[in-house]
Amino acid sequence: MNAINALLGPIDEDGRVPARQQTRIAAFLLSAHGAQARQLATTMPMHLRQPWHIELHAQYCREMEILSLLAHSTTWVYDPHLALLSWQWEAAWLPRPMQGAADHFHGLLVDMAALGHAIHAGIRPAALLPENVAPLDPFVQALRRIEFESGRLLQAQILFLKGPQLADVRADVAAAVERRHQQVGELWHAILQGLNLVAE
Amino acid sequence: MPWLKCKSGRIHYELAGPEDGPVCVLVNGLTQYVKLWLPFRDGLVARGFQVASYDMLGQGQSDKPRLFIEQEDQVDVLRELIASLGPRPIFVGGISFGGVIALRYAIEHPDTIAGLVPMSSFAEIPPQLMRLGMAMRTALILGGTTYLQDLLFPMNFSNAWLEAKADIIGLATHRGWLINDVYALQNLMESFLNFQPLTAKLSAIRAPTMIMTGEFDFLVPRALQDSLRTHIPNSELVIIPRAYHAFTLERADLAAYVMARFAEDVMAGRFVGKQSIWIAPDEVGGELTPFPAGFDHLRTIPVRLPDAGGAEPAPQPEAAAS
Repeated sequence: MNAINALLGPIDEDGRVPARQQTRIAAFLLSAHGAQARQLATTMPMHLRQPWHIELHAQYCREMEILSLLAHSTTWVYDPHLALLSWQWEAAWLPRPMQGAADHFHGLLVDMAALGHAIHAGIRPAALLPENVAPLDPFVQALRRIEFESGRLLQAQILFLKGPQLADVRADVAAAVERRHQQVGELWHAILQGLNLVAE
Repeated sequence: MPWLKCKSGRIHYELAGPEDGPVCVLVNGLTQYVKLWLPFRDGLVARGFQVASYDMLGQGQSDKPRLFIEQEDQVDVLRELIASLGPRPIFVGGISFGGVIALRYAIEHPDTIAGLVPMSSFAEIPPQLMRLGMAMRTALILGGTTYLQDLLFPMNFSNAWLEAKADIIGLATHRGWLINDVYALQNLMESFLNFQPLTAKLSAIRAPTMIMTGEFDFLVPRALQDSLRTHIPNSELVIIPRAYHAFTLERADLAAYVMARFAEDVMAGRFVGKQSIWIAPDEVGGELTPFPAGFDHLRTIPVRLPDAGGAEPAPQPEAAAS
């Protein structure tokens, strides 16, 4: 896969990222973090009884914050490609239970964590910001906050995926995480390519 | 840009200097990457060495395993890199975390290298170091790569350096943040969670060994580095004056000079380790001097050893005498 070889821009005179780039990136992040939020919402029980339920709740709230942040900080413009792209992204987030898990539910949990790991660790939107960007611009702040929060959100996935309960299926877990990283990486790469940020 | 395809992943490395000379292989520490070796590397190249520097698995441009990085994987990468260099005298230098990997390599492959140079390194993790390491891991988790780097700068460098480089620290932090990933750094740090002391295995190291330590390194105190000297048979400890943990960056020219001299002595058959203790010169070109007999080299004040005698007391200020 080609490396990122350009940054967002050209930045306008107020230090803002072009609206078309904001729209495409925000739409992808909304789709990815939206999928995480939906999966967390359906996994979380109505009454929180276990310690890990509390963690699920925290994750869900933070994902919702990311969604709200993107929705309200992005300068949206009409992007005719989004309909097709969104369909492609949403299809990618569909659950793929890990093979080798104790049961279907655990296979789903591992896949959810693997997808979370790939989204939180593999996508670094703030790394695309050029130096001359306006630091207080809401979209810039949102990308920086999302990347920073992703580093924290990632901890739940790391704790679960590296935990002793999955030690016996470590190779399967590693393969599931790698698959999700590959998938998310390809989608992210395609977006950056569409914005002329990577070499063909 | 050269890449080495290893069992554990793809490794980014760089070669500089003459292709037929002896080689120095440099293993980086946590959050470091190839470019940070440049001044040190140039000092070695100037003295006729080829230098192979690389991004450790999980760092820089090398592959970053998603969940698990074992230190054995790092040793395998080093083994494959060394094997690719051909049959030449090979000196392995590693700093901090990289020093641990170099030590492991020298224990497991004692006859493949001409010399070993652990810098700011250790073979055990006593409570102080463990707690510092855990605090740095928490800093990474809660504050990200930038916060970890903010902590590492004052641990690695002197006041003078931090003051002189104040205008580039922001840029250096940004580059470090760009090139490193939280999960990959965390994996590297967590490869120490089940760390078993290497001390009992150090006697297996047969290569001549020079342990380099900064005079003021408080991240890995001298006692930890001195324990390498006392357990590696053909070794010496060299104290780099006024240096902190990251002396390959802060005193790159001097550190490269000391390493080059060591390698030259080894190749000329002049090196005699004898677990001796030395003080490096203040400047490039100077001579190493033996640590004064009769004083405890692990203290920062000149504490007289129980059986020592004859040393003159330092003159006392008049005010203190009155």
